[in-house]
Amino acid sequence: MSLAGLDITAPFHFGTVTQWFDSWLNSVMPHFWALTIEFILAGVLLLASYAVFALVMIYMERKICGFFQCRLGPDRVGKWGIFQVFADMLKILLKELVTINRADKMLFRLSIFFVILASLCTFAAIPFDKGLQAVDFNMGVFYLLAVSSLGVIGILTAGWASDSKYTMIGAMRSGAQLISYELSAGLALLSIVILSGTMQLSEIVEQQADLWFIFKGHVPAVIAFFIYVIAGHAETNRGPFDLPEAESELTAGYHTEYSGIKFGLFYVAEYVNLFIIAAIASTMFLGGWQPFHIPGWDAFNGIMDYIPPALWFTGKTLACVFLALWVRWSFPRLRIDQLLGLEWKILMPLALINIVLMSLVVLW
Amino acid sequence: MNHIKNVIVGFWRLLQGMYISMLNFLRPKVTERYPENRGKKIYFERFRGMLVMPHNAKNEHKCTACGICQMNCPNGTIKVVSKQEMNEDTGKPSRVLDVYYYDLGTCIYCALCTQTCPQKAIEWNNNFEHAVFERAALVKKLNKDGSRLEPKPAVPKPAATPAGAPAPAETADSAPTPLSATTV
Amino acid sequence: MDKITSILSRQGITVNVVPHGLSVDVPQEKLYSTCSELYGEGGLKYLIDIVGMDYGDTLGVIYYLSRAAGKDVLALRTVTTDTEKPQLLSVCKFWTSAGLYEREVHDYFGITFVNNPDMRRLFLRSDWKGYPLRKNYNAENPVPLRNEAICDMERVPSTVFMMTDSDVEAEGGSIPTISLSMGDTEEKVRNIFEEDEYIVNFGPQHPAMHGVLHLRVSLDGEIIRKVDPNFGYIHRGVEKMCEGYTYPQILHLTDRLDYLSGTINRHGFCLCVENALGIQAPERAQYVRVIFDELTRIASHLLGWGCMAMDMGAITAFIYGMRDREKIMDIFEETAGGRLMAGYSVIGGLAQDFHPDFQKRVKEFIPYMRKMLKEHHLLFTGNPIARGRMDGTGVLPLETAIALGVTGPAGRASGWNNDLRKIAPYAVYDRTSFDVLTRSGGTAFDRYIIRLDEIEQSLRIIEQLIDNIPEGAYAEKTKAIIKLPEGDFFQRVENARGQFTVHITSKGDKTPCRVKFRSPSMTLVSGLKAVADGGKVADLIMNGASFDYVIPCIDR
Repeated sequence: MSLAGLDITAPFHFGTVTQWFDSWLNSVMPHFWALTIEFILAGVLLLASYAVFALVMIYMERKICGFFQCRLGPDRVGKWGIFQVFADMLKILLKELVTINRADKMLFRLSIFFVILASLCTFAAIPFDKGLQAVDFNMGVFYLLAVSSLGVIGILTAGWASDSKYTMIGAMRSGAQLISYELSAGLALLSIVILSGTMQLSEIVEQQADLWFIFKGHVPAVIAFFIYVIAGHAETNRGPFDLPEAESELTAGYHTEYSGIKFGLFYVAEYVNLFIIAAIASTMFLGGWQPFHIPGWDAFNGIMDYIPPALWFTGKTLACVFLALWVRWSFPRLRIDQLLGLEWKILMPLALINIVLMSLVVLW
Repeated sequence: MNHIKNVIVGFWRLLQGMYISMLNFLRPKVTERYPENRGKKIYFERFRGMLVMPHNAKNEHKCTACGICQMNCPNGTIKVVSKQEMNEDTGKPSRVLDVYYYDLGTCIYCALCTQTCPQKAIEWNNNFEHAVFERAALVKKLNKDGSRLEPKPAVPKPAATPAGAPAPAETADSAPTPLSATTV
Repeated sequence: MDKITSILSRQGITVNVVPHGLSVDVPQEKLYSTCSELYGEGGLKYLIDIVGMDYGDTLGVIYYLSRAAGKDVLALRTVTTDTEKPQLLSVCKFWTSAGLYEREVHDYFGITFVNNPDMRRLFLRSDWKGYPLRKNYNAENPVPLRNEAICDMERVPSTVFMMTDSDVEAEGGSIPTISLSMGDTEEKVRNIFEEDEYIVNFGPQHPAMHGVLHLRVSLDGEIIRKVDPNFGYIHRGVEKMCEGYTYPQILHLTDRLDYLSGTINRHGFCLCVENALGIQAPERAQYVRVIFDELTRIASHLLGWGCMAMDMGAITAFIYGMRDREKIMDIFEETAGGRLMAGYSVIGGLAQDFHPDFQKRVKEFIPYMRKMLKEHHLLFTGNPIARGRMDGTGVLPLETAIALGVTGPAGRASGWNNDLRKIAPYAVYDRTSFDVLTRSGGTAFDRYIIRLDEIEQSLRIIEQLIDNIPEGAYAEKTKAIIKLPEGDFFQRVENARGQFTVHITSKGDKTPCRVKFRSPSMTLVSGLKAVADGGKVADLIMNGASFDYVIPCIDR
């Protein structure tokens, strides 16, 4: 085993590890096999972390929701109930899978995979740390927007295939909602692309080394951040935008007829989507894994550098998730006309104006 | 302009709402940690948990098996079984309590039995953990084995009924029949 | 009342004065014309309740009528001797609320109300055998174990009497006395929904139906075209059970009608029996009863507020409402021994004296509630999303509210001053000062905000009473076996949802001959039906919550 390529003197980041692993693999086997092993490893790691993040998100949601509601949340399984989610997953795996008699069986099963696949593909593009990123295109932002909008197909087919009126209404609502909010989410990200001049996510993060984009981009970046957070909430079907699954109106919306692990996968995808939206927000606006730096304050910046980048990234993302939970557990749900009005009458025009503003800022 | 003002005011109101939820986030929680706080007082002494018949140290109760509670019970929850027994003092046979059945499964906690009992022989305790594994176990026998009627004190004090409590029923003949078959 | 008396005497009807107002017997052929004049000229715009009666050889119906904000009640009784195929003319042309009440009487007594467009059974299944509240009802096997036919909720039978407006005009505008024996009736069947309508069932099992209400909703996308409420999923036959119970035994059933204002319902029944017996509860009991009533009202409004927020998606608000309500439940438990079913009032007073800590606890609760009320306003009332949904939605005009009999906070939100605590005070309400809050909009927001404002008024009432509870006995002595004198007795109380009334017909026995409770919630559902059309699905759910009905009270 050779340690060539592992530069110990540089600040530690995962890029060095992966590069070293890659060169080591290539030195012991043909390039094809090295690639195969790397793909499989990346896939397994991705799936594992997907599941872990889902569990963390679910636990966090339940605990924080409980605290907002003057309750304790889960606290029976393990200390502070930390094993509650594992118990729930175990239970959900043991549950019977009920399929409605007149459901479109193929689509009924397929729709889950659309939803999971969309969120998994998006998950892969998130830079957790320098080099710790499965997919890093030179048009990463474009990729993000493309694959994350696949999920709506799953939701629409789920609602259609279930042969239930509730799911049908839920699916139609989500169709209208997701496609609308896709626009302003995209436009908000576009203003950052204008600012950075690149679509590559790793490059975008690198550019924020001295100052995060939300500060660098002046007012337009702040506006874009808020637009993205709002549109992101709407895209993940979370309150106050949870119309597709509005439990007081449509019992559970598009996944009313799903049971057991089929429902579980929808559930997991929802929570990972929450994480993804928060992660993209922190990557694009809050500097990703970059520590908090203020130009000129070198001593302060030096202290900040001691905190590992992965921790920075997780911290920022969880802060964004907390904001999402805070909003969700404070506000009532919008009505469908309010929802579309908010998008087409406020967010969309604002995002368009914001792009112009951002261009002016960049030109200036 | 008005529109923009509305948006700003609306945003401010949203922040106020978030402030309230954050306030509650930081407050002490109201959850009752039930099995852990079993020993502590989590209920009040008047709470109607379950009907009991208090016995004194000599295993004596106050029930004279008059059956007023049974007649007043709307659901047929109470069944008083009496027997004839020779009274040692008077030498005459008299009616005494044999078994006092109480069906927890049908009790509706209206407290008519305890309110109308002339002897105050039955009362409520605070036990709320009623769950059992079979329905038959819900039918309780309230008098203890071998218990007997508490002899009246030599100088009978006037019954310590609080002012205004319903007077004891004298006539038992016109008592209502409980709706045993609640088919309606 | 003089006007009413003159109208009735013009029709040749003798008027009896009873404690709650007037009582008259109207022959059935004069019913329609009398009602028409009482409604138009007499100004009796509010039909409180319709009580079906079985007198053995005749079947009767008692209409309780009142002015919109009137103290006195007119009990108008009519009988039909035909027990085989009894028919009476419907009065739902004057009072829309009669539509549902007549369905109920039809369900229980088999009286067909001619010209009522909807003569389905209300609570019981359509293949139920017999009419359960008739005295000769055979309770054996009322429902076949296997359905004889699929229960058809779609087809609505009705009987129509051929009387057109031109007939009325031919008589010079006045309505002729109508005898149904003329045989000009025709039975009709119509369908509620068209074949191709998109009908969605909300309930009986649905998160937002507050129990087991069943709404069949015809949808056009998100827009609601028609709503058809179905009742009876939690029908327990309370009124039939009452006929076999003694008066003290009935008390525990009153708690279980509208479980959120059980204490007030119980108070109403106690008052009715006490008035019939000619006794009055001691002052001390009356004070405590009123405090309990107001605490119940606060608890109910808090839950109503929370449920409305929850139905709009803000679950946190619901938990806050529940948390504050818990304090009231603790007060109840400490003094009465029960929480939801406090079971505290008994005939003649209270079951026991209040707990020594009662006053202290209530006094602690008042400032706490005021503080929390401020927080609730901040959390939800000002929220632009909530306001956007509530403002201007679900408008219930004043006339519709009165015609439908939508009482309580929902009626007051439409501007109908119907608070019995003011217009017909009972217990010690006339000694307290408080405001009856009315609003003019009749929107969902008005119905929402009036609850929170009424909490403040209730706190005011409690504040005035809590330190002035007089000493003395807490209960009047009653006989062990309570027998009511022969006659009809009637009592109205204001519970958290509206006017709750008790009608008792006694034949001098220890059990009543007939007990009828007016459910305020039933008319609230017809209010929902009136405002739902044209709204969105989300509006239906929110409006339902804004009316705040309790289903066990409807079904009884």
